Amino acid sequence: MTHGLWNLRIKVDGELIVDADPEIGYLHRGIEKICEYRRYNEVVTLMDRTCYVAGIAWEQLYIMAAEGALGLSPPARAEYIRVLSQELQRLSSHIMWYAAYVQDIGLMTPFLYGMRDRDLILDLFQSYTGARMTYEFMRVGGVRNDVPVGFTDRCRKVMDWLDQRIPEYEKVCDNSTIFLDRTKGIGILKAKECLNDGITGPMLRAAGVARDIRRDRPYSVYPELDFDIALYDEPDCYGRYRVRMEEMKQSVRIVRQVLDWLDRNPGPVLAEKVPRFVGTPSPPPGKETYVERRGYPKGRGFSSMEEPHGEAMAYIINEGAEHPYRAKLRSPVFVNIAASKDYLVGYRVSDIPAIMGSVDVCVGESDR
Amino acid sequence: MAQVHEKTIKRADPPHAAVTGIVVYPMATVAKQFVKSLWRPSTILYPFGERLENEDFRKSVKVASGAPIGVGEIWDNYRGVHALNIKTCISCNLCAFSCPDTCIEMVPVDTGSGKTKKCPEIDYGKCSFCGFCSDACPEGCLTMTPGYTITTNRRGNMVYSPERLFEVYKGKLPQNPTSLAAPENEDVILLDQDLCIGCNACSRDCPTKCIRMIDIPKPEAKAGEKLPKRIWKEPSVNDSECVRCGTCISVCPRECLYWGARK
Repeated sequence: MTHGLWNLRIKVDGELIVDADPEIGYLHRGIEKICEYRRYNEVVTLMDRTCYVAGIAWEQLYIMAAEGALGLSPPARAEYIRVLSQELQRLSSHIMWYAAYVQDIGLMTPFLYGMRDRDLILDLFQSYTGARMTYEFMRVGGVRNDVPVGFTDRCRKVMDWLDQRIPEYEKVCDNSTIFLDRTKGIGILKAKECLNDGITGPMLRAAGVARDIRRDRPYSVYPELDFDIALYDEPDCYGRYRVRMEEMKQSVRIVRQVLDWLDRNPGPVLAEKVPRFVGTPSPPPGKETYVERRGYPKGRGFSSMEEPHGEAMAYIINEGAEHPYRAKLRSPVFVNIAASKDYLVGYRVSDIPAIMGSVDVCVGESDR
Repeated sequence: MAQVHEKTIKRADPPHAAVTGIVVYPMATVAKQFVKSLWRPSTILYPFGERLENEDFRKSVKVASGAPIGVGEIWDNYRGVHALNIKTCISCNLCAFSCPDTCIEMVPVDTGSGKTKKCPEIDYGKCSFCGFCSDACPEGCLTMTPGYTITTNRRGNMVYSPERLFEVYKGKLPQNPTSLAAPENEDVILLDQDLCIGCNACSRDCPTKCIRMIDIPKPEAKAGEKLPKRIWKEPSVNDSECVRCGTCISVCPRECLYWGARK
C-alpha cells in the first residue's frame, strides 16, 4: 500500500467518511523532464525507478514508444523475451501486492508466503538481466542479452511451483472470516463510475468490464499467445483480489507458452540496424539533423501497455535530436488514486486500509 | 521501630551449576552450530533445496544466441562493483561518455614507464549499476562483477580509483562483459576535406592509433588567388581498428570530422 509516501485527507462524520482528498507529489523527481536531456537508451535507468515493483514494464513502455519514434523494430526473439519479462514482472508485482495487502488486513502468513515466492521470480530476473529490481534490460531495437542456457528449465520449475502455490494463497484468504468480512462489499465502484473516472486495470476488470490492452490494442507478440482476461462481477475489494489471483494463473500460462517458443527458436535479440549507441556525439555538419544522418525518420511514438496496475501509456516526440523533444507518461495509479473520493465516501475509517490497499498504489509511478 | 529484615542469601544451586549454565551449555551450543555450519549452509532456498545444485551448469557457460553473458549461476550475472584491467585500457573515454549518471571521470594513471594515461575513476555514490559502461567498453577491460560490499562510513571511500578497480579485477570474480558485437553498418568517421588544415590533432589523440596522416598533392595556385594556409596532409581512418569513440571529432579544431555512412 506504500505507506508514508502520500497523504489522504478525509472528512469524517463520526466514523463515516464524507469526503476524501488524496495528496501526492512527495516522490516527484521530474522524470519526464530528465528524459529530454538523456539519449534514448539511457532513459531506461530512470524507467526502473518509475515503478519499483514493475520496473521492466515501464522500461518496455518507454522503449516501445522510442522505437515508434525512431522507426525501428526488434527481432522476434527479443519480443518473446520482453513478453516473458512482462509476465514474470506481473507475477512478482501481484505477489508483492498480495503479501502487503493481506498483511494490512491482518493475516501474517500470506506475507511470508508471498515474499518467499516473489524471491524465486527475482532470482530468475537476476539470472538473465543481472539485477533484482532495477533491471536496465531493454534497449532500443531489442534487449540487452539473451537468456542463459538452462534458464527455461529453471523458469519452468518455478512455474510448476507457483501452480501449486497460487491455489494455496487463495485458500488462506477464502477460508479466513476476517479477510472476507473486511473485503466483501467494501469499496464498491461500479463499472459506469470506473469508466467515467478513467480507472483501469484489475479495478476495472473486477467491475465486469472486459478491457485488457493485451487483447484490445495488442502490442509485442501478445496476439500469438493464448490467454484469458480475468473478470469478476463484484466491484469490491474482494473482486479485485479475485481478479489479481486469476491474472497470476493466466501469467503462468503465458510464461509457459513463451518458454516453449524460446526453446524452439534461437536467433538474435538486437535488431541489426541499431548502432552500438543510439546517440553518439557529433557536431552538425551542414544542416541535416542527427536522426537524418543516422537514417532514422523524425517521428512521434506512442505506446500503451497493460502494466500490473493498469493501462500505462507513453508518448515521445522525436524532433531530430539525439534525445527526445518531449516524453509524456500516463500512469494508471495516478488516475486510480485521483478517484479515491468515489470509492471511499460512505465507508468507515477502519475500511481505508482495505480499500486503498486493493487499489495497489505505487507512488513512484503516480508521482514520476 | 523499624524492623530490619535480614536477608538470607541462599544459594539455590551448588557453585558448579552456575558454571554449567553460564559457560558450558552455551559453549556447547556454539560449538555444535559451528561444526554444523562447516558442511551445511545456514540458509537454504526452501522449495528447491540447495542453490548449488548443478555444478556443470557453471561450466557450460553459453547463451542461446552465442554471445556470452558472464557465467551461468544466478549470482554470477549480478551487476555489482566494476573490475578494470588497467593494462588493456586504451583511454577511449567511451565509459565516461556512455554513463547516464556522469559518475565516471577519466583520471591520469602512472603506467610504470614514466608515462601516464587516463583511466576511469568511478564514484559509487552516484552509480546506478546500469552496465552501460561495460557494454560500451570496446576492449572488454571494464566489466562488472558480483561484488556488492561497497558500504563505508566515509563518502570519499565510495570513489574507486583505477588502481582500486584493478584490485577488484585481480580478485578474479566472475565478470559480466556483455560485449555487444559492433553491427556491420555502423557509422564511420568522415572528413570534410575543404575544412581540414592537416593539423595532426586527430591522429595524435586517437587511442587505437588507427588514424594515419597521408600526404595530399599541393594544388597549383590560380592567378590572383592565394592557397589556403595549411599542412598538405589529411587523416585516413582504418575502419576495422576504429572503436567509434569520437575522440578525433572532439579534438578537431576545425570541426571537419563527423559521423556518417561510408558510400
